[in-house]
Amino acid sequence: MIALARFQVAGYLRSLRVLPPLIVILLLLALVLFQPPVGARLATGAFGDVAAFMFPVWAWAARSLLDTQPDEQRALSATAAGGPWTPALAGLLAAGSVNLGLAVIVLAVPVVQGLVAGLAALPVLAGLALNALVAAAATLLGAWTSRALVPDPGVSLLALLGGATAALLLSLGPLDVVSVPMISWIRAAHDGPDVLVSAFPGLGAHLALWTAAVGLAYLLVRRTRT
Amino acid sequence: MQLTEVAFRYRRRGPWVLHGVSLAVPPGHVLEVTGRNGAGKSTLLRVLAGLRSPGRGTVTGRPDRVGYAPERFPVDQPFTVASYLKHMAAVRGLRDVRDGIDRWADRLRAGHLMDTRLPELSKGGAQKVGLVQALLADPGLLVLDEPFAGLDAETRAMLPGLIAELAAEGTAVVVSDHQRVIESVPGVDRVRVENATVSPVTSAEWAVLEVTVRADEADSVESRLRADGHEVRRRGAGR
Repeated sequence: MIALARFQVAGYLRSLRVLPPLIVILLLLALVLFQPPVGARLATGAFGDVAAFMFPVWAWAARSLLDTQPDEQRALSATAAGGPWTPALAGLLAAGSVNLGLAVIVLAVPVVQGLVAGLAALPVLAGLALNALVAAAATLLGAWTSRALVPDPGVSLLALLGGATAALLLSLGPLDVVSVPMISWIRAAHDGPDVLVSAFPGLGAHLALWTAAVGLAYLLVRRTRT
Repeated sequence: MQLTEVAFRYRRRGPWVLHGVSLAVPPGHVLEVTGRNGAGKSTLLRVLAGLRSPGRGTVTGRPDRVGYAPERFPVDQPFTVASYLKHMAAVRGLRDVRDGIDRWADRLRAGHLMDTRLPELSKGGAQKVGLVQALLADPGLLVLDEPFAGLDAETRAMLPGLIAELAAEGTAVVVSDHQRVIESVPGVDRVRVENATVSPVTSAEWAVLEVTVRADEADSVESRLRADGHEVRRRGAGR
């Protein structure tokens, strides 16, 4: 499984498909994050904003990585890997690893700024953990719109944009339990370090449950497709 | 390996591409799959290789290690042949990666292609890479979809012997072949895919038809007949 994940990441990096999300991240860093926040409260807010902004970017990067191998190669990889679950799990591992890499790049600046602004270690850790969980959830949204499940590229793009928009809109209202708690984490992060730390267990559990449910459904559907 | 009453279609409520297919592929046997273009040969091969799950029926006894060489190897990948094969060998869990690749690349006369980037391969070169990756892990089931297309004459002449050798070692080999190269392998079972089902071809069902054509049209008529799944033997000129 790890060899197949490595193969997919190598193809993704060599094909330079990683450049578009990297450019978006660099633009974000240049435009917003390099203006140092005034005070610990704004510094914490950056963690919530980055997670919300990066949610569609991570989903897009995951979809792009999973779509790097041509369909026939996906079939060859599946026969080579053997086992019904291996290709699906390897794909998620590859996309999740790349998204964690992108998270490290985009979060380096807010972490340094936060520490300079006097943030304690706990809120910084909560901010990092929140972003890791959001990256995992976004990876699954991207996986659900990958070509193995949605062969038509137009429909797949619409599904990706629609999924990200639906996640935002649903998290505004009473149906936020079925979506990722985007508005809740933005609010918690902007209400300061203490609020973020105390809200994190709830937010983390919500994201973990959402990711587990959506991930399990993905694996069940994906194992029947090649 | 046994297919029992297998049916397959690509979409729910779509037409059945295969229906009521029962077929045994025992270890050490070579099965040739014939049929017209679009009859469902490649689909049958994909079901056999486990790339597609049947909508109905069962597939039992498929060996753990399956080698599959597609009709068109996907060259649109950012790797050289060597790094591609290294990745595929690693995915297969091969211990001695270098040795496995060199062994099969030498047999298939693909050693000189190792530093070539996949998108720059010729049709025959791509076909060889597809075959090498299929053979890498000493498969218990080897599925080859039109493996002879585009191959140079020497490799094409060598391949039937290689297939016979693998079968003698216990590998079940399934080959679709328009070009009748596999005919020379002794003891080949032959099935025809037609009207969404698979039927064994026995010699009693064959008829010989003599067709006389102008010499300059012979090639095109021959390729048309082969494309329709017929066996064609050329004789010298004469009336």
